[in-house]
Amino acid sequence: MAGKTINTPTTYTPSPTSQNKKRSSIFTGSDWVRPDGRGLHQCRPAFLRTGAVNSASGSAYAEFGNTKVIVSVFGPRESKKAMMYSDMGRLNCNASESKDLSSMLLKALEGAIILESFPKTTVDVFALGVGVWWNIPYIAGDLPVVISCASLALADAGIMLYDMVASVSMSCLGKNLVIDPVSEEESYQDGGLMITCMPSRNEVTQMTVTGEWSTPKIHEAMQLCLDACSKLGKIMRSCLKEAVSAPQE
Amino acid sequence: MATTNGSNDLSSEMEVDAFRRLFPLRFHERHLLESIRPDGRPLGRARDTTISLGAVASANGSALAKIGCTTMLAAVKLEVMTPKAESPDEGCIAIDFHMPPICSPLVRPGRPAEAAPVITKQLTDTILSSGMIDLKELSLVSGKAAWMAYLDIYCLDADGALFDAALLSAVAAFSHLQIPVVSLNDDGRIVLISEENSGAMWEKEPVNKEKRKLKLESVPFSLTCLLHKNYILADPSDEEESIMETFLTVVLDSSFQLVSLNKPGGPGLAHTSAIQDCVGINKTESERTSEDIG
Repeated sequence: MAGKTINTPTTYTPSPTSQNKKRSSIFTGSDWVRPDGRGLHQCRPAFLRTGAVNSASGSAYAEFGNTKVIVSVFGPRESKKAMMYSDMGRLNCNASESKDLSSMLLKALEGAIILESFPKTTVDVFALGVGVWWNIPYIAGDLPVVISCASLALADAGIMLYDMVASVSMSCLGKNLVIDPVSEEESYQDGGLMITCMPSRNEVTQMTVTGEWSTPKIHEAMQLCLDACSKLGKIMRSCLKEAVSAPQE
Repeated sequence: MATTNGSNDLSSEMEVDAFRRLFPLRFHERHLLESIRPDGRPLGRARDTTISLGAVASANGSALAKIGCTTMLAAVKLEVMTPKAESPDEGCIAIDFHMPPICSPLVRPGRPAEAAPVITKQLTDTILSSGMIDLKELSLVSGKAAWMAYLDIYCLDADGALFDAALLSAVAAFSHLQIPVVSLNDDGRIVLISEENSGAMWEKEPVNKEKRKLKLESVPFSLTCLLHKNYILADPSDEEESIMETFLTVVLDSSFQLVSLNKPGGPGLAHTSAIQDCVGINKTESERTSEDIG
């Protein structure tokens, strides 16, 4: 953040004192309405656009509710001189200085990229979150957005992929399964699930499970996530088709 | 017939592209001879500018500014600080310019761009010395509390003229800034007044009656020009900046007085006539831009 490194005076933010937040029972009741009015199994409306950054080989901008993400793809370009020859290409991901998010992004995307199509070189994928205040690290609710946006950016850059990669997360709150949770919902969850898959091939590239899950619940959650992923995959494809057909008009 | 024409067009297009890559200086000079630039602009013309306010909902003031493809996102966050003893009635502004890796192929994660601290310093000097913001407006309780405005500018797409776009986005963010209503509570801390706690909380009067905006005097406007041989190119793109390395940045305020002039070295030298021409171009372009933005 600005000014923290130079000798500036200490400051505090004048936010009102946080109310004592205990998870109210409404979160676990059966007739609960989510803070933004969505249904339990309703994802946030998605806005996707490719070609957001002119300087990049490919890029995409995604807006899911209040989460805004820009992903730029550079390459394939020369790998660092120190790296040995490799007949497979390399993927390098970076998401805002957060090492574990960067490595999760890498693992999610690696399986979908045809690395043999760019030997000796590296494709760089960089992501930036806009709108959430900068020094709040990404919470899991935003990683699926980054992954989906990154796959769109890779397609925009012309990197060969086996399939688009779509990602959706889910929270278990008592008896309720809540899809695409916002940070507030996630902070009260009993368990969290994030699935990244290639919808047309019906293959999962990454699955992350945290917290407490019963077996029937997790099966139900997985199925809901996979359905949501295939819908998201269709939205991503139509976004790409629009981007290609528009200039020819 | 159509196919042979098609393949001719394709190969000649590739030749132009190859020429552009292999001999960039000659490619650009060929255009300059015709008083035009590869993107079709006349030499003294800046690119189209757009500004959008309120891009970051969680900030007190924000703006997204685009000059051509160069995109800057500026956000102002207000926090409370104790003012310095020698200026008890003044707040403070801290400016930081970031170039995240998404904006340019030359920026690598972990290795900050060379231009970033330079532009930070330039912005700080320009904004503070232009007198655009009266720091006394950022005061809350004399000697005890004042606002510290953290201005963070993020470059989202770097396509030349970074300082111009950054200054534009900073000015726009400050124009959008709304100072929230706060009051001093019993512990001596400044607290936000929101609808929930307005009834119960304040026993003292709020420090400021209503949300207000800053009054901006003498708004600075910047234009960077490239100097190459006898040509002056206004508002260079990234390609032009990388080939012709001498540039001159002129910042004028709303009454066309000079706020700052910066010619950071470079292989070319500038005649005083060139500097005067740049000032003139800044005037014309700032009038044109303020018409566009309104």
